Amino acid sequence: MSSIAFPTPDPAILARRDDIIAGLAALLPPECLVTSEDERRAFETDALTAYRRLPLAVALPRNTAEVAAVMAFCHREGVKIVPRGAGTSLAGGAIPQEDAVVIGVSKLNRILSVDYANRTARVEAGVTNLSISDAVMPDGFFYAPDPSSQLACTIAGNIGMNSGGAHCLKYGVTINNILGVKMVLIDGTVVDIGGQALDPAGLDLLGLIVGSEGQLGIVTEATVRLLRLAEGARPVLFGFDSSEAAGECVAAIIGAGIVPVAMEFMDKPAIEICEAFAKAGYPLDVEAMLIVEVEGSEEEMEAQLARICEIARRYGVKVVKESRSATETALIWKGRKSAFGATGRVADYICMDGTVPTSQLPYVLKRTGEIVASYGLRVANVFHAGDGNMHPLILYNVNDPAEQAKAEAAGNDILRLCVDAGGCLTGEHGVGIEKRDLMRHQFSEVDLTQQMRVRAVFDGRWLLNPAKVFPLDGRIAA
Amino acid sequence: MTIVPTKEAEAAEAVRAAQSSRRTLSIEGGGTRLAFGRPIQTDDTLSSKGLSGITRYEPAELVFSAWAGTPVAEIEAALDEKGQMLPFEPMDHRTIYGGSGAPTIGGIAATGASGPRRIQAGAARDLLLGVRFVNGRGEIVKSGGRVMKNVTGLDLVKVNCGAHGTLGFMTEVTFKVLPKPERTLTLILEDLDDERAVQAMSAALGSPFSVSAAAHLPADVGGARARTALRLEHFAESITYRARELAKVLSAFGRAREIEDDESRALWRAIRDVDALAQPKDDMLWRVSVPPTQAPALLARLRQAGLSFRALLDWGGGLIWIACTENAAASTVVREALGGDGHATLMRASDALRASLDVFQPQDAALMKLTAGIKASFDPDGILNPGRMYAGL
Amino acid sequence: MQTNFTSAQLADPHMAASEKILRSCVHCGFCTATCPTYLLLGDELDSPRGRIYLIKDMLEGGKPATAEVVKHIDRCLSCLSCMTTCPSGVHYMHLVDHARAHIEQTYKRDATDRLLRALLAHILPYRNRFRLALGAALFAKPFRPLLAHLPRVGKRLAAMVALAPPRSPAVTAEPAPLTRADRRRVAILEGCAQPVLQPAINAAARRLLARADIEVVRVAEEGCCGALVHHMGREAQALEFARRNIDAWITAIDQQGIEAIIITASGCGTTVKDYGFMLRDDPLYAEKARRVSALTCDITEFLDRLDLPAVSTAPKRAVAYHSACSMQHGQQIRDEPKRLLRNAGFTVRDVPEGHICCGSAGVYNILQPEIAGRLRDRKVGNIERLRPDIIATGNIGCITQIGGGTAIPVVHTVELLDWAHGGPMPPALERAPGLNSRVVQFPLA
Ligand SMILES: Cc1cc2nc3c(=O)[nH]c(=O)nc-3n(C[C@H](O)[C@H](O)[C@H](O)COP(=O)(O)OP(=O)(O)OC[C@H]3O[C@@H](n4cnc5c(N)ncnc54)[C@H](O)[C@@H]3O)c2cc1C
Ligand code: SF4
Ligand code: SF4
Ligand code: SF4
Repeated sequence: MSSIAFPTPDPAILARRDDIIAGLAALLPPECLVTSEDERRAFETDALTAYRRLPLAVALPRNTAEVAAVMAFCHREGVKIVPRGAGTSLAGGAIPQEDAVVIGVSKLNRILSVDYANRTARVEAGVTNLSISDAVMPDGFFYAPDPSSQLACTIAGNIGMNSGGAHCLKYGVTINNILGVKMVLIDGTVVDIGGQALDPAGLDLLGLIVGSEGQLGIVTEATVRLLRLAEGARPVLFGFDSSEAAGECVAAIIGAGIVPVAMEFMDKPAIEICEAFAKAGYPLDVEAMLIVEVEGSEEEMEAQLARICEIARRYGVKVVKESRSATETALIWKGRKSAFGATGRVADYICMDGTVPTSQLPYVLKRTGEIVASYGLRVANVFHAGDGNMHPLILYNVNDPAEQAKAEAAGNDILRLCVDAGGCLTGEHGVGIEKRDLMRHQFSEVDLTQQMRVRAVFDGRWLLNPAKVFPLDGRIAA
Repeated sequence: MTIVPTKEAEAAEAVRAAQSSRRTLSIEGGGTRLAFGRPIQTDDTLSSKGLSGITRYEPAELVFSAWAGTPVAEIEAALDEKGQMLPFEPMDHRTIYGGSGAPTIGGIAATGASGPRRIQAGAARDLLLGVRFVNGRGEIVKSGGRVMKNVTGLDLVKVNCGAHGTLGFMTEVTFKVLPKPERTLTLILEDLDDERAVQAMSAALGSPFSVSAAAHLPADVGGARARTALRLEHFAESITYRARELAKVLSAFGRAREIEDDESRALWRAIRDVDALAQPKDDMLWRVSVPPTQAPALLARLRQAGLSFRALLDWGGGLIWIACTENAAASTVVREALGGDGHATLMRASDALRASLDVFQPQDAALMKLTAGIKASFDPDGILNPGRMYAGL
Repeated sequence: MQTNFTSAQLADPHMAASEKILRSCVHCGFCTATCPTYLLLGDELDSPRGRIYLIKDMLEGGKPATAEVVKHIDRCLSCLSCMTTCPSGVHYMHLVDHARAHIEQTYKRDATDRLLRALLAHILPYRNRFRLALGAALFAKPFRPLLAHLPRVGKRLAAMVALAPPRSPAVTAEPAPLTRADRRRVAILEGCAQPVLQPAINAAARRLLARADIEVVRVAEEGCCGALVHHMGREAQALEFARRNIDAWITAIDQQGIEAIIITASGCGTTVKDYGFMLRDDPLYAEKARRVSALTCDITEFLDRLDLPAVSTAPKRAVAYHSACSMQHGQQIRDEPKRLLRNAGFTVRDVPEGHICCGSAGVYNILQPEIAGRLRDRKVGNIERLRPDIIATGNIGCITQIGGGTAIPVVHTVELLDWAHGGPMPPALERAPGLNSRVVQFPLA
């Protein structure tokens, strides 16, 4: 399988592998350096497993100083670097290259301090997203961005991809909830950008770094915003007879000036898959379902729900089912958040991530179905409807090269459709390698060149995660 | 010469011409924020005034796009008609700078002007979804788009927001908007000192009642008694309940008085625009960002250093406005009083002083190097607002 | 996940089963977050996803196991936390069992490692040998610091000795059960280590069952369930134990009409419930194994289905319930033990980070004492934060492991239940300083 190209590894680097490893071994203790082929193998991919590249070595530093030492060394030696968090990227953002050293931050996994009065926490970049909320939840706080992978993915990866999640409709994505980072630049210089203050001192460098897919530096610490939990939260399931009706209902709710905390969409195939895993009580006799979450006091939730139900009725809602307990709520979200994984029980999949204006949802959903069907494949849709961020899961058999090619072609068609409908290629998973070659569909050469010029300020030699984001041809040097 | 393009392509053409003849350009919108930043001398002025009008407004999608020169008033009127608003409550700088021009939406984006609601709804940069701009090469570049979630490519939107026109001449901006709250109510606590006020604001912001703004006006700033104001905005049904609950949270700080709707809106408008410190016009004005709980100590340090000043706290204490008689030494005092995690911007002072002092917080060498590199990546010949943020950049 | 097996490889049913498991893994990484070794070491190679990948590569390549692969598989506790987490239903247990067997067949461990493993495999599963060895270990206890300094195995031998209880438990005489034709009958697995270390546990179970008028049939021929050796990759030995137990139980089922095989050590329960899979390709045993697995249940599962008489005087004791991995992950039993304890009047507290292993994991604490020790300390820390009077759990391994790190008494859930229902106070409570003096004696039921 190989419709997405990787750059040819630099033979000079490959030839110097032993020296490079010896150099790294002088900087890191043995348990922080992975060099044997068997062991490197486990790092050859992320959650886009159809693509794999065995890295030259894997470094797992334990602190910023070690990260800096390794980066300075690689920079001096002209060795490429692929930063890695938990390796859950769906876009292949953390997939290595044969001539690159993977620098993983998984050992940087401590919460350094929590400051409730200022509503921030300082964490090492390798902490998992959920562990922050877990740590502050007993005191009534949480870290808002909640990618479905939050159990496993790291803040580092979230910063890399500017990750979002179901509750980002109200609370914003990663960039809106990060105040500062400690980052190691390609030459090993350590910089502190931002801090606990709410605005930048000069240029908004943080705005560049978040979402830069590991191309500007390696983040080792972050200051995140903590929010106070609402008094209560309740998800409600709305079942519809057609995906279009559900899509229209979403647009109507937003249009009516109601911004719920979360508004998630699942079509029938997705409902069936998730229900089988989570037993959350999803309605099985509907074509599409919305999970709408409201929060506040009991009366506030009732009042908001009444307004939402009123709109849903106008779109012919068939089933309305409120969560009745904390356990039910947990199950409803467990089902949603496990959707991708649970799909693995049924088939292999690739997950698209285009965003479209909410008014375009019904149209794009319909076209998506048609496109996938035209390739003779099946699709399950489960996504963040409130912000138009679609995740069609194209189901196929990865062991069949012909199906793999079809799935990818269908995926590309869908992403072009999203762009043409006024949206973009990726709403939260990032470009990685997966959408790299579609970038010209969304951006002009001038747009891309300007992005690359900024990139070059940080990494003029294209050493940091160089196979990603920008089409391999037409790259500009510093 | 002032160039007033009426089309984006003309703007690009003008910048290309300027670049090839090495002429520098000041970038201007409504001209209400020209005193923000270092004073600059340029060969020509490039105005966005000719690029005006809302290009797309989709109330049901909560977004609009407009040419950069569109007056904010026009946008607010259009939003108002659909019951929507700019969530980040941008400040109107005319109060502190004077002047009679009409602020433009491009100016808001360029200065990253965010008001009291920043703590809850995000800053200008959080709601700016897309920009089109002409870089220093005269190329028309777009970044972002009109959807709320977009991580495609390197994000050039945020770095342009608050870059004061040093990276590009913005031609079109797209913002996310939000429905206006049905009701707004403000709880006011009186006679708290800085320390207690910040504690009260922290307690309120750490409560589950979605406080959308928290500010403190010390005694003799906009009124004789000190006032600590906490705003609630929500559905009508919620406000009564939340006001009651929040008052309970704050009971240790005294009995809260309530003001509503128009009165509340007027108060927050005054806080947003720093009315209380606007006069006298020749006072020097600082804008300081710190972790909220460090605000009282910072103010105490200023007093200890013998600085005579008046201050106003917004963002729960995280944003401090400081007014004092103009003097060069104050800069040292203010910046030395910052803890490790704060920064200060000289918002208002005479041209002479703004030319000789650092208007924006000086940064360490590595960050300055990045800043200079980024500037050069957009504007290699340094023709766009040169020196506006940092001398020589 | 994509796989690359040849059709020749897939002809081997073991390989085919593993391929199916690998195919269902989507490499999402969710499991890494709840894996105890990843939590401690922060290296994907010591996480389920990493191990799955190592196994995939090893099996696909048809390669003998390498030292590197063995290192990471050996560090796996088989706690199965990853299986609870996995949304794709990846059967990690069967995969790692296959890998362990493959390692055992293709990898030559160094001499000391072999010796230690052989020692364990030849002593622990056999009640009498174990009893003898325990005597030796008690004798060795004063020499622990010395042992720790022996090269390579030293630490691990020391760990083994450390686990021996401070005094050799007395062999208690069992009351001979009354036999009546119409009584409900069950068998209780005696197994290997537990009756030696803590005879009080099964005794308590018997008393509880007797109160419900259920007869416990003695199945003389049964013995170790095979879990210990199974986890060491000694598949043949494990299957031999399994077959012996199956023969014994099938006879008891057919001739004495036992309705359940009750297990009081959840570690064993997970394995006995898996007999059906382990012997699926054995034409002589497949069906019998399936029957046995289907009748197997944990003592708390069984008790939960009974109507235990109400407890008249509630014991005012705060119990931290530690759910053994083999209980919550291996058998997905979560609420029953807590419900029973609550109904018996105890205040039950959930342990934070309760899904993480205590480090016992069969013989893991002997083979990987360092990681096991760190996990124990983490577990004890989490438990002690709750300030409980008593720690209850359903697995002998956890009792010994946790007991070695805290002064709070650790008992088996059934001991508490039996006590509440009129049985004697659990021996560990009697020994606990300060606790016994406050103890209210229950009225006899
Ligand atoms: C089942 C499943 C569900 C998902 N659901 C969501 C979802 O709801 N929303 C969402 O947004 N995403 C989702 N994702 C995608 C993925 O989890 C996110 O992109 C996540 O942020 C990646 O985090 P990670 O720690 O795994 O990073 P990795 O995958 O390891 O890396 C991600 C990117 O960040 C870079 N990076 C890693 N560490 C650093 C560092 N220290 N400094 C700089 N750059 C670094 C990498 O080079 C790479 O480009 C899902 C993925 C899966 C498998
Ligand atoms: S959670 Fe399951 S599907 Fe995901 S990586 Fe782990 S084993 Fe594979
Ligand atoms: S069984 Fe336990 S130790 Fe082994 S991989 Fe799974 S979670 Fe980790
Ligand atoms: S769980 Fe352990 S001790 Fe009990 S019978 Fe099985 S192997 Fe032996």
